[in-house]
Amino acid sequence: MSGGRLPAGGAIDRQKPLRFSFDGRSLEGFAGDTLASALVANGVRLVGRSFKYHRPRGILSAGSEEPNALVELRSGARREPNTRATTAELFEGLEATSQNRWPSLAFDVMAINQIAGPILGAGFYYKTFMWPAAFWEKLYEPMIRRAAGLGRLSGQPDPDWYERAYAFCDLLVIGAGPAGLAAALAAGRAGAKVILTDDDFALGGRLASETHEIDGAPGSQWARQAAEELASLPTVRLMPRTAVFGVYDGEFGALERVADHLPVPPAFTPRQRLWTIVARESLLATGAIERPIVFPGNDRPGVMLASAVRTYVNRFAARPGQSVAIFTTSDDGWRTAADLRGAKITVACVIEARAEVAPQVRALAGDAPVFLASHVAGTAGHLGLTHVDIADASGRRTRVAADILAVAGGWSPNIGLGDHLGNSANWSPEKVAFLPGGLPKGMIVAGAAAGHWTLAEALNGGSAAGAEAARRAGRQASLAAPYRTGDEPHAVGPLCHYAGGKDKAFVDLQNDVTVSDIALAEREGYRSVEHMKRYTTLGMATDQGKTSNLNGLAIMAELTRRDIPQTGKTRARPPQVPVAIGALAGLDVGPNFRPTRLTAGHAFAKASGATFVEAGQWLRPQWFSRPGETDWLASTTREATSVRSAVGVCDVSTLGKIALLGPDVGRLLDKVYVNRFSTLAVGKVRYGLMLREDGFVMDDGTTARLGTDHYVLTTTTANAGKVMQHLEYCHQVLWPELDVQMVSVTEQWAQYAVAGPRSRALLQRLLGDDADISNAAFPYLACGEFRMGEIPVRLFRISFSGELAYEIAVPAGYGEALAKALMAAGADLDVCAYGTEALSVLRIEKGHAAGAELNGHTVARDLGMGRMMSADKDFIGRAMAQRPALVDPGRPTLVGFRPVDRGRRLRNGAHFFAAGAAILPETDQGYMTSTAFSPACGHWIGLGFLARGPERLGERLHAHDPVRSETIEVEVVSPVFVDPEGKRLRA
Amino acid sequence: MLDLAISHVFGGLHAAGSGLGVVAQERTGLVIATVMARRGQFSALSWAVRQRYGFELADAATVSGNAHTAFVGTGSGRWLAVFDDPAPGLVPVLQHDLNGLASVVDQSHGFGVLRLSGPAVLLTFEKGVALDLSPEVFKAGAAATTTLAHVSVHLWKVDEAPTFDVAVPRSYAGAFSHWLETTAAIHGLAVGEK
Repeated sequence: MSGGRLPAGGAIDRQKPLRFSFDGRSLEGFAGDTLASALVANGVRLVGRSFKYHRPRGILSAGSEEPNALVELRSGARREPNTRATTAELFEGLEATSQNRWPSLAFDVMAINQIAGPILGAGFYYKTFMWPAAFWEKLYEPMIRRAAGLGRLSGQPDPDWYERAYAFCDLLVIGAGPAGLAAALAAGRAGAKVILTDDDFALGGRLASETHEIDGAPGSQWARQAAEELASLPTVRLMPRTAVFGVYDGEFGALERVADHLPVPPAFTPRQRLWTIVARESLLATGAIERPIVFPGNDRPGVMLASAVRTYVNRFAARPGQSVAIFTTSDDGWRTAADLRGAKITVACVIEARAEVAPQVRALAGDAPVFLASHVAGTAGHLGLTHVDIADASGRRTRVAADILAVAGGWSPNIGLGDHLGNSANWSPEKVAFLPGGLPKGMIVAGAAAGHWTLAEALNGGSAAGAEAARRAGRQASLAAPYRTGDEPHAVGPLCHYAGGKDKAFVDLQNDVTVSDIALAEREGYRSVEHMKRYTTLGMATDQGKTSNLNGLAIMAELTRRDIPQTGKTRARPPQVPVAIGALAGLDVGPNFRPTRLTAGHAFAKASGATFVEAGQWLRPQWFSRPGETDWLASTTREATSVRSAVGVCDVSTLGKIALLGPDVGRLLDKVYVNRFSTLAVGKVRYGLMLREDGFVMDDGTTARLGTDHYVLTTTTANAGKVMQHLEYCHQVLWPELDVQMVSVTEQWAQYAVAGPRSRALLQRLLGDDADISNAAFPYLACGEFRMGEIPVRLFRISFSGELAYEIAVPAGYGEALAKALMAAGADLDVCAYGTEALSVLRIEKGHAAGAELNGHTVARDLGMGRMMSADKDFIGRAMAQRPALVDPGRPTLVGFRPVDRGRRLRNGAHFFAAGAAILPETDQGYMTSTAFSPACGHWIGLGFLARGPERLGERLHAHDPVRSETIEVEVVSPVFVDPEGKRLRA
Repeated sequence: MLDLAISHVFGGLHAAGSGLGVVAQERTGLVIATVMARRGQFSALSWAVRQRYGFELADAATVSGNAHTAFVGTGSGRWLAVFDDPAPGLVPVLQHDLNGLASVVDQSHGFGVLRLSGPAVLLTFEKGVALDLSPEVFKAGAAATTTLAHVSVHLWKVDEAPTFDVAVPRSYAGAFSHWLETTAAIHGLAVGEK
């Protein structure tokens, strides 16, 4: 075992040991550990297998940039693949499993891919599996699918839930390192509304990872005090475990990992919370990410970023190894030697690519051997590092024993968020880094994210930025004394990479992209960074190339003899860190995918055996099963028969109801309907048809005139919102001069159709003898207002079924009681509740158009309503409806159909062809829109659109159903199957 | 002639958790009406409201009213008028009083009004409302027409306790309750006596 726990120090709670397991092995860590630090402390170096070559991999970093250490967390339904061990907070009982290996991590059969390496280079899947073509579907694709991907989903429903939230602030500080903490303190002390987010569970950024001092105290102590003070400020909100993942117009997306650090979320607690943060200003204080150095064998477990080595030692008191070699191109890397020596860990040697360093930097290595102007030419070790091969400028090789190689290739500001709105970064040759160029409006940047490498710059820059933001938000920010801290050396050498020799030199560890892959991309013409990315997959997947992008494009720059700005960089896009789909969905899952609307009579329907159907957001009773009925057709047939012979009650509350008031309502309705409404008498109802601007039918419904200035317009259930929007548009934009007020009253009224020959008798019982609803007093298409006790009632004599029928409406609070009252009062009249299926049967029998016919492709004439279009007034759609194609007499027009063999079933969607004609678009004569088994006819009937339909009654055609490959001979008939004279509805 | 029993909108709302964070109470027995100014009649309407009810009607996203009456601004020249101690036949009276000045439509059954209060009411709202409801921005008397859990609602701030009223379209009560029960449970949701 190479690693272990240091006897003292670190920001872990040694009083709180935590048991966890990795690949079934029981291990122990402490509260305050990440899974990665606990693995390091337990000497586990091999944690995964690489994506393509299945090479053994260890832990590279100590943060969210980790490309290697991806594991599956938990088990069962909570199994979570591709979790970065470096960000997973340790909890009691945590189960982690390595992934992408079989049968075991130490012995992985797929490591044979390393031998097949030459054919698995960049873009191999475009080339290698081209021949023979027949193998693709049967062999290659299944094979690749099996080998591809990392980790496994549980395949079970997620037992946890997620929610969304919104927050507002003057200043959003992204990153709680020294710059972020100082900014939040300055702004928060001034009373500005501040939100401070950090991906980490502890605030302080790298302060806990380094041995800096601030104002004479350890940096980690200052961070703790800063966090405590911030928590006490009333206008500051601290959001640890929260990653800002995207910048959008005027707002930020952030993911709070509410319960990821717990075995199971506590009661009433979501697993994660997705925040939309609206901030007047934002401060990008996201620090920087250390770059690895590309050299042969740089992926061997034990090769680790120098900054991560310091984090494990200083923050977690975890010893990454017994003997640590350091390979650096920056002054910063040398500090690792000092920290290791402080922790009594052997520094095997320091390998510096530069030819010379400042004396005070050189001193950091102490007595350790130093190799200047040298590089690592190779590494050795079976499943982990044992030796490092060093080459100096003359090519002389030295082998040094080490179980950890800390690499420090300089720092890249972590400024991906600055790119999200289309800005791009600028290359700084002095800092050897991309620095923020243009930034999104209101965003400023401080600390290492701005390329200000020293702690003093970070603290004082952050403090100034926070104070300025507070002042811009109208707060009085006093000038704080500058923080006292050292100005650490921070020189860095140029970007460099080393390849050659036997072993691969990796650029992107997550996607197994090597130096030779980039060279191949260059040779094959994929030289643009965007092409290189897509050809080689460099910079893709969970880490988005945070440790690889710059090295990759530097190699491409060198190959193409361009500089870095000429080569350019890929633009970071949201999300900056992975976001689970569940978090985006929030509470809108399963039955709550969208809000469900229930009618006032829902509970009654449910108790009455209703099966419900979704109609837009509404749930409507589809049919009511009675004992002995085994299928929907039996129930529907019974209900439809009952309406024709006795009386039925159907909840029609879901139809849109719009109250229109004011002196000009008639004029407005004349403009939106094809027929005239200004002449409608008070106490009357009229059917209306509404066109779109393009002349096609938009919606239909009845409109009642309850008073001189008061109409109630109904819409179909599906189009209620659209019609309301259309009317508002017509009024507000087209004819604002009209004095009309409108409001939806769909929610106010519960409405039931009461249909059938006994409907009048039933209603009379409810309304009492004082209400005269006789045919003479209340004829077909009458409407009026009545009372049941103190309750106002609206009654409309309208019929969708073709029977004597009414619609009765009461304020919705009485809706359930009315449904019960109707059923009770009608018991001896054989009343039955009926659902949308029977409603549909009845209207098809009557030839009434509904959603299937008002399908956006039909004009009034197609529906047999051409003559409704008023010739002596203008209305929306009038002009466009006159287009030649829309008045072509050959257009398919609504007619009825019945099977010639009455025993056959008709199908919606069947197309009509002449007998013996080929089934081709050119010979297509129309299509069936609605079918039903008609209890009145005793066989299936249909409605559909047929070219010149009304002229062809009696003709026989073939109805071909392409879905079921079935052809039925049908006869063209009138669309009105029941009571064509309309005697029943006027009875 | 029979009388029908009334069903309340939020009869299905359940308490969740400790009950210490948010108190939800359905305001029953209200008369609610949509009041829409006739074209060019706002001044006359305002005068009539002052005469009849004794308060200044504001054409803004605010609440105008008195102890028992709240005219909640929901759009230009448009209010949701909420009366909590209504005389019988109030809506016809209102229609009569404002005749020619405003169209008045009874919506007493169209909405359920929940009164929400308690120490965690803002923490709960932030999990559904995309508006800044903090006390310095959204003061007592402020009103908003917005969406909450994909439901169009009118909400207004009653006092700085803070107490809010939310008018939820009746058919969405179940969807709204699901949101409220789920998001308020962590703080504790108590459901007040009807």
